[in-house]
Amino acid sequence: MTAALDTEQIRTALRKVVDPEVGANIVDLGLIYRIEFDAPGKLLIEMTMTSPACPMGEMIVDDAYAELDSVLPADCQPEIRLVWEPPWAPSMMSEKCRLSLGWNEADST
Amino acid sequence: MADLKPAGRLPLLFFGMLSLLGGVMAGLARLGWEVPAPAMQAAGVHGPLMIAAFFGTVISLERAVAAGRNWAYLAPLAAGASGIVLLAGAPLLAGQILGSLAAFGLIAASAVALRRQVAAFTVVLTLAAGCWLVGNLAWLASSNVSTAVAWWLLFLVLTIAGERLELTRFLPTPPVAQKLFIGIVGVLLIGALTAVNSLFSTGLLALAFWLLRYDIARRNIATEGLTRFIAACLLSGYAWLLVAGLLGLAGAFTPGHPWRDAALHAIGLGFVFSMVFGHALIIFPAVTRIKIPYHPALYLSLVLLHLTLALRVLGSLAGNFDLRHLAALLNGLVLIVFIVTIATLVRHNAPRGAR
Repeated sequence: MTAALDTEQIRTALRKVVDPEVGANIVDLGLIYRIEFDAPGKLLIEMTMTSPACPMGEMIVDDAYAELDSVLPADCQPEIRLVWEPPWAPSMMSEKCRLSLGWNEADST
Repeated sequence: MADLKPAGRLPLLFFGMLSLLGGVMAGLARLGWEVPAPAMQAAGVHGPLMIAAFFGTVISLERAVAAGRNWAYLAPLAAGASGIVLLAGAPLLAGQILGSLAAFGLIAASAVALRRQVAAFTVVLTLAAGCWLVGNLAWLASSNVSTAVAWWLLFLVLTIAGERLELTRFLPTPPVAQKLFIGIVGVLLIGALTAVNSLFSTGLLALAFWLLRYDIARRNIATEGLTRFIAACLLSGYAWLLVAGLLGLAGAFTPGHPWRDAALHAIGLGFVFSMVFGHALIIFPAVTRIKIPYHPALYLSLVLLHLTLALRVLGSLAGNFDLRHLAALLNGLVLIVFIVTIATLVRHNAPRGAR
């Protein structure tokens, strides 16, 4: 069952979770650090927030769970962990996201 | 990790809202409006109610959610209690001590974020919490609210500025921008410390220009929906910060100056409440887990806020008390319009949002 889902499909689902302050989704912002099927029926996701002082973390995690619920089969239990290491950096954003925010290839971090 | 559940946070928020209600009415009492007795006797503590009690509750509640620690919620509890004590007419000392304890709590919760990531923005947020404490202690020591005003303004201004600095990381911001930012924060702190109003005002003016130049809102105003609304709130708020800086340079922060009301409310209402309007749809759901859908009707509150504040500032500049008197009431009514808008959106969403 879970074999039918690959990490790319998980990413697609998580792209529906948007940070309204920036107007970009959490995958393209580079907040998703790890997507792994640990064991059959067990999905582990590690993600971060851009700011440790922002209260939105818990809500974004909940929104991510809701999006996962809509694509995962009933027997697959996702677990999302909020991690702070390594701290988020602008270089983690996707190329497309960076370009849309005005970065070009020459810009570092 | 032990964190207070959303159902436990909502009462803290309502607790803070009592200080807002009482604080607004105490402000109206200052301008000669008839208000209920608790607010009438609190006319002298309008500033402490609005900044230390109401914003103290909201900001420390938001930081407690971010920190995700049970003990951090003692800060909004103490801040909310300080407001109730002031409205109940208890000795000022009780309100001052509760407010100071709350500020200590916010410093500790900010230190949790600082430990997770040492960066300019986490340092600025912690400094902002420190300004709240300094303001409270200055008030406690002198029994004179005006000695605390610059510090309390910095508590709000630096909290907002720190969060905006964080968000500039999404854009290719030149390294010089962060150096400038740190310099501006330094000028503001020295301005408050030395009580040199021209220095303080220059800092506010510079910060307004910095935010107008580097904030992500400049880009987001071209987007749509909630992201655009937030940007509109931010940019218009920065314009008021600029007005406050200019008025300050003309001497408006001096106690007793006829333009003081205009300068303080350009910051408190124009800059800070624009920010509140823009972020209510993010922060309220983050704290309470009650979703609020975006609706363009939110622009109505924002436009009314700016129009009624412009009337108030004009009344102040022209020395027209009647205009200022009326505009102050309208300012208060705008807050009610905003709260009713939010409540309507929540109710509208409830049948679909319930799970």
